[in-house]
Amino acid sequence: MLIGTVVGHVWSTVKDPTLQGCRFLVVQPYVLGGEPSAETLIAVDPLGAGIGERVLVVFGRAARHVIGKGHDVGFQSAVAAIVDRMELADGASVGPIAARDLPAPGSASEGARARKPRNRNNP
Amino acid sequence: MFLGRVVGEVWATRKADDLAGKRLLVVQALDERREPGAPKVTPVVCADPLGAAYGQRVIVAFGKAARVACGGDGDYAFEAAIVAIVDDLDAPLAPPEWNEPSLNDGGADARRERG
Repeated sequence: MLIGTVVGHVWSTVKDPTLQGCRFLVVQPYVLGGEPSAETLIAVDPLGAGIGERVLVVFGRAARHVIGKGHDVGFQSAVAAIVDRMELADGASVGPIAARDLPAPGSASEGARARKPRNRNNP
Repeated sequence: MFLGRVVGEVWATRKADDLAGKRLLVVQALDERREPGAPKVTPVVCADPLGAAYGQRVIVAFGKAARVACGGDGDYAFEAAIVAIVDDLDAPLAPPEWNEPSLNDGGADARRERG
């Protein structure tokens, strides 16, 4: 399972028949430290997440269960939850939308995107 | 399965029904390739049936092992779970960070201040 931000929609007409009626999202995984991930992934979205929202993506059997069409579904990833809040051990708060993230207290920078790395070898 | 450290917690209102009441923790892998300054990787979110605390080292399992750890091999909307909280670890060649029992950067204090 991972947390990611919805960055797009995908539409497809010619697809596996088991995927009829599925909504596909492009999700960019969350990376500690706030930098955007270089990779994106596609997930089926039974919940109705919008662009910019943070979501919880599950894989494999959990994804097929969330999609709700039994276990003969030709897809491996799905949105299982839309995140309200993620709180990190260093005190940073990651909200449903990246623009509303709060940095760790005591962090020199404003905004979680430039939050200090937690690694004490690299202050 | 991997060894990781709990770095956060996630809350959601709109979610798959069987995630209701499940505690979801954010775990970052302890990875020997993770040198200071190396690119960060995406942390894993996992169900927590054991009650791990921020900063603790845990063992995370995937798939059937995770489902069994959360009460049986049924249909669940998660595929990763904490199956053990590490008491002690002896890995002499590992980075020093691995051998610290708990890395809690004052997050609890910060939360108290914020109310």
